[in-house]
Amino acid sequence: MATFDREDAAKLARHLHSHLPSDPALRTKTLESLLVERGFVAPETIDAWVEAYSEHIGPKRGAQVVARSWVDPAFRARLMDDATAAIAEFGFDGDATGHLKAVENTDTQHHLIVCTLCSCYPFSLLGMSPAWYKSAAYRARAVREPRQVLSEFGVDLPETVGVRVWDSTAELRYLVVPQRPANTDGWDEARLAALVTRNAMIGTARHLKTEAA
Amino acid sequence: MDSIHDLGGKQGFGPVTVTEDEPAFPEAWEGRAYGLVQSVGDPGSTIDWFRHIVELMPPAAYLTEPYFQKWQYVQIIELIQAGKLSMDEVLSGQASKPGDPASKRSLEKVLAIIHDKNHSFERKIDAGPAFVLNQRVRTKRHMTAGHTRLPAYARDSLGDVIAHHGSHALPDAGARGEDVGEHLYTVRFTAAELWGDEANPNDDVTLDLWESYLVPA
Repeated sequence: MATFDREDAAKLARHLHSHLPSDPALRTKTLESLLVERGFVAPETIDAWVEAYSEHIGPKRGAQVVARSWVDPAFRARLMDDATAAIAEFGFDGDATGHLKAVENTDTQHHLIVCTLCSCYPFSLLGMSPAWYKSAAYRARAVREPRQVLSEFGVDLPETVGVRVWDSTAELRYLVVPQRPANTDGWDEARLAALVTRNAMIGTARHLKTEAA
Repeated sequence: MDSIHDLGGKQGFGPVTVTEDEPAFPEAWEGRAYGLVQSVGDPGSTIDWFRHIVELMPPAAYLTEPYFQKWQYVQIIELIQAGKLSMDEVLSGQASKPGDPASKRSLEKVLAIIHDKNHSFERKIDAGPAFVLNQRVRTKRHMTAGHTRLPAYARDSLGDVIAHHGSHALPDAGARGEDVGEHLYTVRFTAAELWGDEANPNDDVTLDLWESYLVPA
């Protein structure tokens, strides 16, 4: 059972920091071998976890949800009202989406998602988070200088477009619904979904590209 | 606790390394480390204790260890504290006693586990909410050696309640192994309130904050 002993945990962390080999691949291989030998896990189980997030769960899920919200006003209303229930219509609910909230960009409002305290992310909807989302630079700066961060992503916002930064400090997770690009009248859901990028659903992209779609 | 994990507003990190797209696990070890954490843990732990162990890493390690190495620190520490592994085993890689091979989980089983992790953190309590929508509130100084989800940059600041989410499990208690419900709100702060005169007047920041972090303004 967990001890919840923080002094002991800090001491163990310091010991690991001093004694573990520096190469993360070597550390991980050593730990996996140990846990397999102790009979705690089978290597094939780890293969299945890797395959789940490499092949089956990723930002294409979120893109389908966004595309449907563009073409189906009743779905859009459900998504804005209770995003956890709305994504369950696709079977996309799961890890870290028990309390999901969708926020929509408009002509005058841009939304940006961050977790300054760790790296909270809606895994079962968007898959594994990108390295930049977990970086110290993004976590430190997104709340304080979002416009500079956005410009590093190629998003230059006019002063008049407000930026709202959502710091994920509880178990709520957020999905940014980007604006539907112009000149996509009559496109079907699948074609629209192909336009929606991972970064747009976190808020570090704004205008979706329609060429090469 | 006031350690380096509380990164909001810290300066000096330089530009963000931007990517448009990348594999789920850019390096192979990341996928293995992720799968291990998901597969072998301490069922008596809590999400808050997990996060608090990460916070307890030495600051130099926190800033330099890759993301899934931080998770691996937690995994090792939880398994040692639970008596399932020893530090000697971890550092030597030699099992003290071999076990029978574990059963294999299929992809379908793993996908079902991920789907079932749609946990609700809502906890029904008798007390009604202390704050109402649009109420002006002030965050406390709320400095603690333990775990909390009020970032330092938003201490002692004025904001407006823009949503009430019912009562959710309080992380400060969860990190001690206690399950305590408390009302949870989304509070909006102007960028100028948090960052001063350089902030754009059109910008704001929202945080999800528990009732004990707040007082009436």
